[in-house]
Amino acid sequence: MDDSTKHILQRLMRRIPSQMLQTMLGKWAHLSREDLHSLDFTQPKWVLTEHLLALCEENGLRVKHITELEMIYIIENPNQGMWHGFQLLDAEEDAPSIELTQFKEQFKANLTELISHVSIKIKKHTDEAIWIRVAWGDNFTKPYHLKPTYVVHHLQTPYVFVTGLTSKYKPLLNQALVLATRYGSMKDAHLSGRNLTAIRDLLMRQYQQVFPTKNPKPLQEKNPVPRNPNIEKEQAENTENRLQMACEAFGDGTLPQLQKAVYKLETKFRDNSNKTLTGREEPFRGVVEFASTNLLESLRHCVSSGMASTPVTPLLSSITQKGRNYFVITDKGV
Amino acid sequence: MSLLKPFSKLPGLNTANILLVENEEQFQQKLADTVVLQEKTVNVNVRLARSLPLPMENEESRPRIDLVVFIIHLTSELSFQSAETSLKYLDPGYFQGKVCFLVTSARNVSVPPERLVSVRKLAASLHCPLLCAEDQTTEGVTTAAHRLLAILKVAAGLVPMATGLYLSTLTRCTVPSDIDQQNFE
Repeated sequence: MDDSTKHILQRLMRRIPSQMLQTMLGKWAHLSREDLHSLDFTQPKWVLTEHLLALCEENGLRVKHITELEMIYIIENPNQGMWHGFQLLDAEEDAPSIELTQFKEQFKANLTELISHVSIKIKKHTDEAIWIRVAWGDNFTKPYHLKPTYVVHHLQTPYVFVTGLTSKYKPLLNQALVLATRYGSMKDAHLSGRNLTAIRDLLMRQYQQVFPTKNPKPLQEKNPVPRNPNIEKEQAENTENRLQMACEAFGDGTLPQLQKAVYKLETKFRDNSNKTLTGREEPFRGVVEFASTNLLESLRHCVSSGMASTPVTPLLSSITQKGRNYFVITDKGV
Repeated sequence: MSLLKPFSKLPGLNTANILLVENEEQFQQKLADTVVLQEKTVNVNVRLARSLPLPMENEESRPRIDLVVFIIHLTSELSFQSAETSLKYLDPGYFQGKVCFLVTSARNVSVPPERLVSVRKLAASLHCPLLCAEDQTTEGVTTAAHRLLAILKVAAGLVPMATGLYLSTLTRCTVPSDIDQQNFE
């Protein structure tokens, strides 16, 4: 095992938290049962790393095995780093019938044609998602494994989720994906966040949605609090309406965890009390950013408690309706 | 205009009705639960609202409101403004001892002191008492409920020899003339 491989393994060991180490190595299945038993997981991590390095040397493991371990770790814990959503457009006739082996071959062939030194690993996860790990090199250097790109794609859906992609390799990955999935092009869905499941649920509308009804009933509470007959709410109908509108705009139950919503303004300044800025020809550029640990939950609470006025402004509800969190607002609309 | 009138309905026997008006609708629920639990001798009904005017649909079923309490959170300017606009929908008969202001977070350092000054001036101009309450702890909620119940019983006429007007002359908020030049020495 050469130095760079050892380095990759050491970095990976530092990244995996100690509690998960045993399960990860178990899933990896490149160490024999006796080897795995010989590792003492109560020791400090650096001791464990040395021991593991020695075992890998013995078994003659190489880079591709180490990267498998990394992939297993990332698949189990996908909510790190920044994930970006992309949408595939202009499906051709055979796009819905692509199946796994065809996709794998096509993707690998396309990408290696575009750039000769790449390391590609494709794995199908239990929930029908295809995980692709790409380590990029260029025409003269070997692939660099310390900054890989991960791609998640659900076959037969037009959505792709990517993390760790630099702008240098973006067009290459785009082209390979587009050709392999038999679509016409790929565009940025303008949705990004730290939580992969949240982004996926939002784009594929897999959260609990509430649809407008002609005869609205108040949303049934799961555990209705026994009401004291002496206490009565005067404006209960308003409260129910607000809650209904908030849930229609954002969803019911647990919402996907988004961290940010960014609105880039390119509109003209319009405030009559400020004479210096109003009436200029160029747009007043500004950026409004909403940040929270769970943005959709906060927005829903703002609407249901009356802090934000109802009906919900389409600027906020388009986060869920269009599945984006980056908007450019011009004078003609969003 | 749909004004809330104090004497347009008959009172109930041994009953007192209190209306809690709060823009945020948070503290009023806790206060309502505590008030109803604390009072054993008198039948207390609590009505909760976000702002005035109250909806017309409840006009028939609503009992006579003996005390209107405006809960103002000093941490939010909107809270104060909402209370101010709601005041317009009260019949002037209420301001003779049947209105009370309750502020929270008066001790909070991040609250601009001018807000408390404006609330005091408002309460003083309307001859109403101003209570400060602590809404984060159960003792704070219990104390506030206790004080509100004391004023409520007088306002509902359940305390002999005391009326709301008498009590309000004793408890109404006053503003010292030098309040605008606050200095802490």
